[in-house]
Amino acid sequence: MLRGAGSIAIALPWLELMGEGRVARAATAAKRFISVYTPGGAVIDDGNGENRWRPTGSETDFTLSPILTPLAPIQHKLLVVDGLAMASAQGEQHQAGIIAWLTGTTQQGGGYGAGPSIDQVIANRVSTNNPMKSLQIAVRWGTGKSHGLLHPINCVNFEDNGTYSPIPPRLDPQSIFDQLFGSLDPTDSADFQAKLARKKSILDYVDRRFESVSPSLGAADKQKLEQHLDKIRELEQSLDDVVMPTAICKLPDEVDTSDYNPTTGLDSADDGSIADVNTDEAIPKVGKFMMDMLVMALACDITSVASLQWSDTEAKHTFPWLGLDQHHHFYQHDGGFRPVECEQIYTWYAEQHAYLLQQLDAVDLGGTTLLDESVVFFGTELAQPPSHDKSNMPFLLAGGGGGLRGGRFLRNEGLADPSHNNLLVAILNLFGDERTSFGDPAFCSGPYAGLT
Amino acid sequence: MTRHALVASVLLSSGCYVGLDAGKASGGAGADDAADSGGSDGGVPASCEGRIHPGSAPLRRLTRFEYNNTVRDLLGDDTLPANAFPSEESGNGFGNDAAAQSVSSLLAEQYATVAEGVATRVIESPDRLAALAPCTTAIGEGSDAASESTCVRDLVASLLPRAWRRPVAADEIDELVALYQGVRGDATFPVGVAAVVEAVLQSPDFLYRVERGELDDDGNLRPTGHEMATRLSYLFWGTMPDEALFAAAEQGELSNPEGVLAHAERLLDDERSRPMVRFFFDNLLPLQGLSQLERDPVRYPAYTPQLGASMREEAHQLLAYEIFEGPGTWTDALTAPYTFVDATLAAFYGIEGVTGDAFQKVEQDGTQRLGLLTQAGMVAGTIHSNETNPVVRGSFIVQKLMCKAIPLPTGDVLDQVKPPDPYSGDTARDRFGKHSQDPVCAGCHRFMDPVGLALENYDAIGQWRDRENDVVIDARGELPGIEGTFDGPIELARAIAGAEATQTCFAHQWASFAYGRTLDDDDACTESHLADAFVASGSDIRQLLLDLTQTDAFLYLPRASEEDP
Repeated sequence: MLRGAGSIAIALPWLELMGEGRVARAATAAKRFISVYTPGGAVIDDGNGENRWRPTGSETDFTLSPILTPLAPIQHKLLVVDGLAMASAQGEQHQAGIIAWLTGTTQQGGGYGAGPSIDQVIANRVSTNNPMKSLQIAVRWGTGKSHGLLHPINCVNFEDNGTYSPIPPRLDPQSIFDQLFGSLDPTDSADFQAKLARKKSILDYVDRRFESVSPSLGAADKQKLEQHLDKIRELEQSLDDVVMPTAICKLPDEVDTSDYNPTTGLDSADDGSIADVNTDEAIPKVGKFMMDMLVMALACDITSVASLQWSDTEAKHTFPWLGLDQHHHFYQHDGGFRPVECEQIYTWYAEQHAYLLQQLDAVDLGGTTLLDESVVFFGTELAQPPSHDKSNMPFLLAGGGGGLRGGRFLRNEGLADPSHNNLLVAILNLFGDERTSFGDPAFCSGPYAGLT
Repeated sequence: MTRHALVASVLLSSGCYVGLDAGKASGGAGADDAADSGGSDGGVPASCEGRIHPGSAPLRRLTRFEYNNTVRDLLGDDTLPANAFPSEESGNGFGNDAAAQSVSSLLAEQYATVAEGVATRVIESPDRLAALAPCTTAIGEGSDAASESTCVRDLVASLLPRAWRRPVAADEIDELVALYQGVRGDATFPVGVAAVVEAVLQSPDFLYRVERGELDDDGNLRPTGHEMATRLSYLFWGTMPDEALFAAAEQGELSNPEGVLAHAERLLDDERSRPMVRFFFDNLLPLQGLSQLERDPVRYPAYTPQLGASMREEAHQLLAYEIFEGPGTWTDALTAPYTFVDATLAAFYGIEGVTGDAFQKVEQDGTQRLGLLTQAGMVAGTIHSNETNPVVRGSFIVQKLMCKAIPLPTGDVLDQVKPPDPYSGDTARDRFGKHSQDPVCAGCHRFMDPVGLALENYDAIGQWRDRENDVVIDARGELPGIEGTFDGPIELARAIAGAEATQTCFAHQWASFAYGRTLDDDDACTESHLADAFVASGSDIRQLLLDLTQTDAFLYLPRASEEDP
């Protein structure tokens, strides 16, 4: 069995990461991928036939819509992709959508999809030399009826190791900070070295223990342990990767998140004595902190692939900072479609996304920026909240990786095959992956043209 | 009569097939809650007699709940460190579905981080170290290498069989002593011990319940004594075996059903079974989010996190009473004319004379509340906004408590689905009227909505109301497969309690949880055996829990050829 972690990685010279003497694998291949998920589509029809999301104008001369207005400062690096349909989203209306978004596969019998998500495929290409293969972060996740379990309702990322297992996101901003930046610029003391050596001895022992238990098991169980061991080897490898601060790699400003309970509703041991000190109030602050950490994780080359989830498909948190005391799903359709409130929410997400893109663009690699090397895919699980309709998906791409050309609006009216699987293939192509089909082939006719 | 005869599989013109596992049968349309698919509606075995049918036994990994309990009992760590692990896949709905479990990078990383924390807390406590090996008290500045080495060997020899829940070989001890020696070079004795603890807690033998089994005289594969001790302790206590179970394993007491049953009774009757029962119901019922409901404080000033926590406790109090003290049947739990309240909840219900935080049993007159399904938490917990929703309330009862999978709309129907506008009618019956008027919707919604509409006398926090927007609530309805009609929540509770599907479903849910799997066709015999016995016992819950240990699924292991066709 091929072990994913590192065994097939091409060792790139350290200089590669320092912005000098770049020897890229393919001259123009994108280097970093970021996916951003927001729940519940957009206002494609406000009830009076008006599309509040779609820009107006031509491909290169267009005016952003009310919802997308906050993105104006970064419009020159934004690619608005309108008119595609998530044909592969077959199954429960929300779940099939979030599954199909990055996998292009249908929901299997009430469970998950039947393939990897593109972020994981990309991670296996571009992130194998990083301490962390990919980073999944979620804000105010596991709300509502998933009861905090990993559920088709709340998963975006799926393993590219044959299992297509859902990947749980990291939820706690403080532990994300510690994990990502805790060892940044470690004192090169004997203590640190000794601790590192200890960790290696322990993992080495665990590794051998897995090797000795596996052989006597049945095939399915053996495979389970193999996959676990793969992850342990990833961890073993990451011990050797010490992240060094540079001109562009800095500690994000730490934020006090004591008023944010990342596991609200998730903790089965909760006896109700934990006062939830209004976690919803803290969402904007925590979201910004999460984005800052995500940007630095990329700038510090801790990883090359990151995913940010704003809650989950049937988000059950409120928006007190917008003066909205019901949850998003209520405004989408639990309470009948409320286009005004939905627009407020989507506009706020657009604001957050603008912040993320601007932060990526602020990391100067000497002539280009982090955003220029990246592909950022902003998506959701459906287009129209009142009907769960998935044609005319409100997709945004941004960046310049792999020759992606921003500053454009692609309407795609009358496209022969609007299936979004074709877009997924085209994104993969930006990373030098030359495949012509991705996800369920029934919904894929070849790469979507127009990204470059 | 087997369960299969009881569960009518109806194929309706609308495509609303209702029966066990319809979620799978309807071509990929998952149920509203992916946790409820399960059961076997496939071929009814010609005969369940005369052959062993264990079903599958995939490798089970400790859940967060089990890990927490295990490090508490193994190392005295009661900090619930596993809460830092990522969520389990929902799978069978209990987060312990072996086939669904996978290991993410995050989980592997957290196994290391959490193990480090546990190990650090062990070595910071001389008492805990002494509990692992008394010789540790004599080790300190100036100890010689030989006595340290001997002591570490003692420690490993005592820790390892308990951590791995089986006898260990000498070379397995040697390996850990070698790890200690390697680390000790540039660290202290406690740090070396911590490394051993960290390693043990990340080993597959600890994290997984490895079962190799042994052949009995008839050539059938059974769990070994230690594997059976482990099955029992994790089923009833959610933790590692205690000394008595280890001793029973050593002495071969667990190699026959009677011995297994005797220990099952001991474990179930011990206080330590309560958290497991609580965990089961926390995952089956909509209780976990009750202290954190999102409600508008202006519309619902009565709701506080403390009230929510009391609601959750009310359900657990009633269930624990039924199982461990009271009449003990599922039917009684669903129709109890009494409940358990503290002062907070009593004020909410308008019950006089209850003070303080202790829960006490109070009788009810049966006009507004009767049994579990009418408790405030049960009707509030499914609602995720300020508005009630009869579909989700009905869907929960029908799908989770009656195991009737309602397929999701697909194709042409899907295009017509539009959730109702809450401002288009005074009552939910008006707002959701299209569900019964439009045959396209009614095909499926007639299986759910009537249940939810009968509960409309409870508002979004479970408070009783006679009217909504000054219109008297009409809570009448009927449910396919249930005789007669019902008017309001009291009659609904009786109707649900009296339905055969409610009993068989309860047995099914317990079996899924106990065996840590999504049950399939291979479990048909085990399922019908459990369901028949449960119905015959008058839905005796305690008896059902003991019966879980008397099935082929629990007493046997599949042969390798069955595992890997």
